[in-house]
Amino acid sequence: MEISVDRANEVLIAKVEGRIDGANAREFEDALNGAIGEDDSKVLLDFSTLSYISSAGLRVILLIARLLQKRNAAFALCSLSDPIREVFEISGFDKIISIHDSQAEAVDKIGS
Amino acid sequence: MSRRLSLSLPTKLDQLERIYEAVDELGESEEWPPGMVYQVKLVLEELGVNIVTHGHAGDPDHEFEIVLDSDADALTIELRDEGRPFNPLTDSPEPDIDSGLDDRPVGGLGIYLVRTMMDELSYRREDNHNILTIVKRKENG
Repeated sequence: MEISVDRANEVLIAKVEGRIDGANAREFEDALNGAIGEDDSKVLLDFSTLSYISSAGLRVILLIARLLQKRNAAFALCSLSDPIREVFEISGFDKIISIHDSQAEAVDKIGS
Repeated sequence: MSRRLSLSLPTKLDQLERIYEAVDELGESEEWPPGMVYQVKLVLEELGVNIVTHGHAGDPDHEFEIVLDSDADALTIELRDEGRPFNPLTDSPEPDIDSGLDDRPVGGLGIYLVRTMMDELSYRREDNHNILTIVKRKENG
């Protein structure tokens, strides 16, 4: 699992590559917490190169979403593959986290 | 089209890679429908992590077994471990998937994903082992 960070229209875009599972979810949490600065008010996770996520990863997403909500920061996900989207839908995460089809659409929605 | 694959794994989290590789290989040679490889990996990871972290409380000196039986119609999975008794059908609460962000409990989704994605689950405790049998029919993707 690797995270690369970019900024566009005041949106912090963290692109996650590889797999998030029970063995590396803690590492994912630390990397994400390290990547999100205190001043970031808009955060987007780009999952276009994420191949796999399970409940251990969902737990981290939930914690980050909650943290950002407390700071009144916007949070969104984009570019989920079909099986990953299914995991989010079964878990009901699509009802509490905003999910977009593409990075451009997401940045347009939450960016300045 | 039919093939059986058995794995015997130490109760350590770094063994997940071996599970993924086995599922990739079996899914490809048995021509599983799209999406099924992901679902089977997820199911085995959720249950495997559960066995390692809860069933054996992180003690790495045990083994658990996975048998995958793929035929033309379905995949049958048998998981066998000697950890503390755990019946995923009755011992795992229904997760809250409706409440808002603040009220969502963290965790509890793994077993729910397993029950939702697979077609049949049955559990028995035999000779101090948990034995879980799972069926995933190919027609359901």
